[in-house]
Amino acid sequence: MYKIELKNISKVFENKRVLKGINLIVNEGEMLSLLGPSGCGKTTTLKIIAGLFSPDCGDILFNGKSIVNIPVEKRGAVIVFQDYLLFPHMTVEENIAFGLKMAKIKKPKRRVKVREMIDLVKLDGCEKKYPSELSGGQKQRVAIARALAIEPKVLLLDEPFSNLDTRLRESMRIFVCDIQKKLGITTILVTHDKEEALLTSHRVAVILDGEIKQIGTPAEVYEKPSSPLVADFFGEKNYLEGEIIKGFFVCKMGKFKTGFDKYPRVMAMIRPEEIELTDSEEGSGFWGRILSKQYAGDKIYYKLSANDIQLKCMANSKNMFEANQRVWLKIDFEKTIFFKAEKS
Amino acid sequence: MKKNNYIFKITMYLLIFLLISPLVILVIWSFVRIWPWPNLLPRDYGLRGFKHVLDPSTKSLRVLFLSVGLSSLVTLCTLLISIPAAKALGVYEFRGKGFFKMLILAPIIVPPVAVAMGIHIAFIKLGLANTFLGVVFVHLVPCIPYAVRILTNVFEIIGESMEMQARVLGASPLQTFIKITLPLMAPGLLSAGSLVFIVSLSQYFLTFLIGGGRIITLPMLMFPYIQSGDRMMASTYSIIFIVTALIMLLIMERIVRNYYKEQNYFYI
Ligand SMILES: Nc1ncnc2c1ncn2[C@@H]1O[C@H](COP(=O)(O)OP(=O)(O)OP(=O)(O)O)[C@@H](O)[C@H]1O
Ligand SMILES: [Mg+2]
Repeated sequence: MYKIELKNISKVFENKRVLKGINLIVNEGEMLSLLGPSGCGKTTTLKIIAGLFSPDCGDILFNGKSIVNIPVEKRGAVIVFQDYLLFPHMTVEENIAFGLKMAKIKKPKRRVKVREMIDLVKLDGCEKKYPSELSGGQKQRVAIARALAIEPKVLLLDEPFSNLDTRLRESMRIFVCDIQKKLGITTILVTHDKEEALLTSHRVAVILDGEIKQIGTPAEVYEKPSSPLVADFFGEKNYLEGEIIKGFFVCKMGKFKTGFDKYPRVMAMIRPEEIELTDSEEGSGFWGRILSKQYAGDKIYYKLSANDIQLKCMANSKNMFEANQRVWLKIDFEKTIFFKAEKS
Repeated sequence: MKKNNYIFKITMYLLIFLLISPLVILVIWSFVRIWPWPNLLPRDYGLRGFKHVLDPSTKSLRVLFLSVGLSSLVTLCTLLISIPAAKALGVYEFRGKGFFKMLILAPIIVPPVAVAMGIHIAFIKLGLANTFLGVVFVHLVPCIPYAVRILTNVFEIIGESMEMQARVLGASPLQTFIKITLPLMAPGLLSAGSLVFIVSLSQYFLTFLIGGGRIITLPMLMFPYIQSGDRMMASTYSIIFIVTALIMLLIMERIVRNYYKEQNYFYI
């Protein structure tokens, strides 16, 4: 298996800088998620690693050796694309065998390998079918089997689950993670689904606007986002502007203990689920008024207003509050994340 | 919905009638000796037309085979040249693409007749005038635009993604072309090929000019009869022309189908 290193990779398409110096290391056998919104250059990054595009500048190393000049078919990196791209004129079997045929593997050996892959992805009975006769989930498994059949050193998955329904997505995700662990293939999973990224991978790289903004374990990226942009990507947040003075956060709502000094001007990031609502004054917090309520079964989304600032809050449905009710917003500012306020 | 269906059917039958009726008249004419004006049906029938065609001394059959051979070769060359051009126009982005798309249609917009004189002079200098090869070359002029146009659309539809997938699975560019691109564009090749074959088979003026009377094709046999008003002979040759074209189209379809298995995946 390979260790992948990207060094300062840039790519310009028609005067548009899509990648602006990507630096990334994926360790041998690691599963790394590349997380980012649509159009931020995720697919482009994978295509550059596989060799389908050449970078405008920068270097790609596999196990410490530059592979920029090695043609696509000799790199040993396989992409499974978003829309599976099964060859429509070949049966499931022939699709899976395609890579093996290209590698000039003899027929008896090829047959054994195809059988093995079909068992692995549980597609017995579909061997002779054409892609147009398969369901979305089956197509996807064929695409994965076809990629795994040639025993790639690097597996690049481009949003492989995005076309599946929730249930199927979950089982496919578990399935792919298991295989990845079993075979120990260095894998990059591209996704714009934050939960998928957090659930599946050893490390997550957040890519925004052609740059990697943060990279770390799922917990690190979620708990300690490096900037509001990254934080917002993991869900809507509330921000309170204020100052930190001698261990206290001072804002429109009042003065709250933080226990540390950082920058003088700050933005406090408060997750909707970190606000606790009560009907009596209790702990550190402030009074607010409920503007609206949305019921979502196990949880309730409130919109609140406090001191003319709108806040979002997510609470469990144990005690319900009604619109226009006065509530106490309890927030533990000692655990809050503060960002340096941008000068606007 | 139902009403639409009727309209659709009526239109279809009308079209079929419009297409078939001239053919029927053509078939009748090819057996007719005399068909004077007010009579609804011909007065006298005969087999002079077909006898003439089959008679070895008239060399009609030889001309037929030469025509088919020439047009097949032209079709093959046209497709070979058009595939790369169409791929560039259909898949790649480059400056002036729109201009090149227009330019490639120029030979159809400007009648080849208009430039034929120039071509003739050039071919005389190159020693291509009055040769089979010269005729093949000059037939490419009206044929390539059609093929490039059709194949460009095909490439626009199939795009590059399947090829990229094949490449990452370890196929070289050549293997990708043979195993993936060609099968995917088979239906497009078929329609481009049929059209080009017929365009080539019906060339009269270009063959006449560049072939200099040495290369005789089917339309050149037919033309004098049409001009002199010998309807029986003209109709006979027309029928031979039509049947030849149909047979060739069927053969082409068979080849493509058999080569890429009978699965009709691309019609879904
Ligand atoms: N071949 C190309 N030619 C020109 N521009 C391109 C090409 N491929 C991608 N782009 C542009 O590069 C940008 C990034 O594209 P990319 O496909 O990498 O996005 P992505 O992160 O994969 O998005 P998504 O999540 O929607 O798949 C887009 O603005 C796109 O328009
Ligand atoms: Mg993408």
